[in-house]
Amino acid sequence: MTNSTPNNINRRTMLRSTGIIAASGAVLAACGSSSASKNIARVGETPEITKLGEVTVTDVVLLRTAMSVETMAKTILTDTAVTSLVAKNSAGIVSGFAAAHTSHLANLRSLISARGGEAYEEPNEKLMASYGTQALALVAEGKSEADVSSLMLATETLVASMYQYFVSLTAEPALRASMIRMGAQASRAAAVTAQLINPGIGAFAPGVDKDGVATVATLPSAFGALSAVQVQLGPVNPETGSRATVLMDTPSLNSFIY
Amino acid sequence: MDNHQVESPETSVTSRRRLLSALVAGGAFATAAPLLAGRASAAEGGPSFPTRDPQDNNALNNALAREARMVGTYRIAVAAVSADDDVAGLTLILDHHIAYVQAIKGYLGPDAKDAPETPLSSPSGSLKAMAAGLAQLEDDTATIHTDILAILSGMDAAKIIASIIIVEARHSAALNMISGTSPLVASGN
Repeated sequence: MTNSTPNNINRRTMLRSTGIIAASGAVLAACGSSSASKNIARVGETPEITKLGEVTVTDVVLLRTAMSVETMAKTILTDTAVTSLVAKNSAGIVSGFAAAHTSHLANLRSLISARGGEAYEEPNEKLMASYGTQALALVAEGKSEADVSSLMLATETLVASMYQYFVSLTAEPALRASMIRMGAQASRAAAVTAQLINPGIGAFAPGVDKDGVATVATLPSAFGALSAVQVQLGPVNPETGSRATVLMDTPSLNSFIY
Repeated sequence: MDNHQVESPETSVTSRRRLLSALVAGGAFATAAPLLAGRASAAEGGPSFPTRDPQDNNALNNALAREARMVGTYRIAVAAVSADDDVAGLTLILDHHIAYVQAIKGYLGPDAKDAPETPLSSPSGSLKAMAAGLAQLEDDTATIHTDILAILSGMDAAKIIASIIIVEARHSAALNMISGTSPLVASGN
């Protein structure tokens, strides 16, 4: 015989109560306004994240994306911000590099057509918004011919890196070779531009000038790099004493042209 | 009034065990879900390729043989110049080719064939004259590698060869500039 009372709390009662409380909490949470979740306290504002739909990266997607980047490169090299600052003796080089991108576009069109795809004739919208437009605005603002060379070097390096990266995503081996041929030509253009900025065989290796500032190297690495291309453009900021650095990334899943 | 507490330990223990098991399983799933989702997204990024294919070994050994001969050629070129900048510039490219030999050998491992450093030419004379000849050899090597890339199945090998071609194109253009070729011609236009 025990002296326990009816309201004694046993394990079963406790578990049941806990379950009821948890279920009630879930119901209450579900009844809450959905707008509340958008207003979570945070420092600063963040843009809403748009989820990428169900997509597959095919060879045609890579070729269409290459077209968008080639068109972007051509747009940059033929923009008045660039052409208005080019010296007469360099104008032919800049227009020649732009013509090479036009030639690549024709090549890409036939590669896409042969695979039953549709050519893409616009500059890559996401990459232009990320850095292309900003780079051109900085060149226009800085009004320096040196910026034109720097932007040209960065653009050609970016195109070469893109094709090298695309090799690792391309299914058809023969197409990998076609891509790297165009990448190699952009790579040559980058080396020529580097030599125009910092000429001579002494400029092949990375180095620094008398002030300790890194110089432009024609052969910065033994293997092709896939990292973002950094370029300093525009006027010197009087407050910081430095110029704006633009990071130019190769296209990725969110900037592919599907 | 007598109250008889009826204990049913077996039923109670089973319930607790089930509850704990359910909690543990739920926790494990919740922890793994983001990983599984991440993998699924990555898989949607593109088709999968074989990372290695033994059928590539012959083509890669050809690439290795060519690079070893480039090393032999640059050893002669470096010995033929005396100015500090010239030695440094040509040694840099020599080091790149040594790195390519090591990369391809490293990839092939025991399947790598002997690759003698037989020179492709004997560079001599002025730096300008040597640069023109070396630029041509770089172009030819990049073309050989591009043809090899077109038949490689293994993606790891394709990545190595692609990263070599991109820089050998730079070698060619840089040496053409040193030889006095016009910028547009040096860029391959």
